[in-house]
Amino acid sequence: MGKRGYWLKEKLCSTFELPKDIVLDVSKVVIIGAGQITVENHKGLIEYSEELIRINTGSGIMKLCGRNLTIKNIIQEEIAITGVITNIEF
Amino acid sequence: MFTIRIWNYLRGYAIIIVKGLKIERFINLAVVNNIYIWDIKKLDYVTVKAKINLGNFRRLRDIVRKTDSSVSVLSKHGLPFIIRNVKRRKLFYTILLSLFIFIYIMSSFVWMIEIKGVKSVDTEKIVKCLNAEGLKEGSFKGKLDRRHIENQVLINMPELSWIGIQIKGTKAIVEVVEKKEKPPLISRDDACDIVAAKDGVITKLLVLSGDPLVKDGTTVRKGQRLVTGTILRENLEPRQVHSLAQVIARTWYEDAEEIPFQQIEYKPTGNISRQYRLKLLNKEFSGKRRVSFKDFNENIKERDLISFGDYVFPVKLIEHRFEELVPELKTLMINEAKERCLERLDARIKLMLPEGAVILNRNTNYYLNKKSVKATISVEVLEDIGVKQKIQ
Repeated sequence: MGKRGYWLKEKLCSTFELPKDIVLDVSKVVIIGAGQITVENHKGLIEYSEELIRINTGSGIMKLCGRNLTIKNIIQEEIAITGVITNIEF
Repeated sequence: MFTIRIWNYLRGYAIIIVKGLKIERFINLAVVNNIYIWDIKKLDYVTVKAKINLGNFRRLRDIVRKTDSSVSVLSKHGLPFIIRNVKRRKLFYTILLSLFIFIYIMSSFVWMIEIKGVKSVDTEKIVKCLNAEGLKEGSFKGKLDRRHIENQVLINMPELSWIGIQIKGTKAIVEVVEKKEKPPLISRDDACDIVAAKDGVITKLLVLSGDPLVKDGTTVRKGQRLVTGTILRENLEPRQVHSLAQVIARTWYEDAEEIPFQQIEYKPTGNISRQYRLKLLNKEFSGKRRVSFKDFNENIKERDLISFGDYVFPVKLIEHRFEELVPELKTLMINEAKERCLERLDARIKLMLPEGAVILNRNTNYYLNKKSVKATISVEVLEDIGVKQKIQ
């Protein structure tokens, strides 16, 4: 997908109000409080420890810092993490 | 997610420990191969604890080889393991289950009848009456028609005015209310006289209806007519009425007691022996009764062995407690003997005095001889001695 293609899709999304995470293949991050985070549409785990988790997503590598991080669930489309989250970085 | 968890529980899952340098790759490969792992927690730099479905466990082998890690099972959970456990200890669980069933069945019977509210009616009689109507120890709760039993008992026992049967656990609680008092023997329409119930000296005669035959101060004998219901007047036909009167008279009560100075007293030595009997329903299991003491006091206690609040089962332990006694010859002092005499006389005279009697005087006399003390007591009281008697 070229830069042009991406631009076109984004335009399309905003005009027709389509959900971006489906059309653009970017991830959808849902944070509930500071204790749980769900990343849909991820592209795999890069690094995992109790304090740091790095996840590959459509829009770059997502870096999660915190304490006592555990992976509650991990399947193809979704990854759910619980623990005390302090930092989210892209 | 929740349904998946339940599914996993039903299928059984294992907690595994993965060791290796490429943990992330291990997880990613598992995800790609559709192996569901959850609750992943890092223990240290190279170790991870996770949960995995039992069926998927074998499929990990390829990933383990690829990532150069090692997997070990920490523990296994879920329904299949519980079932396997139960199967392995079949006998134990069968006994446990049958015990529960047994207790359930046992608790659907009545094992104890408790009677409340009895004052003067014989409890045995009520129990007999209840037994005759089908409520007894060991009768099935479901078949009891409480209303019917209550009605039948009330019909058969006119001395009760109300009966309520309540079933709580294995207890049947029977509450009864007795009729307050007997109906008067002579109805107010019948003519009657008033006669003396005992000897005495009249102190106050209050006649409400009828003609008095005696005056205050008259000494009367038992059975003497005090008030007549037959009224005779000049120029009038004789008339008969229902006499009513309060006859307060002085009466005497006497009693005597003799206490010898030489007394044999039984004292406990402190030696106690116990014997037990087991009572199952109406069957008793007991050893031979043997008491090694010559003189003893026996105490019998019943205890319910199995009881949970209102659920009482018919297993009873009966304890016989024997207390050894030793006879001891004791010589009483005169004062002691007198005190004892008085104590006994007091207790006895209290039983003799009617309710509502007013004590006017009490006299105690002691007579001493070589061997004993003799005491007499006489009590003078005021009481109502009038009793109605129907005119023939």
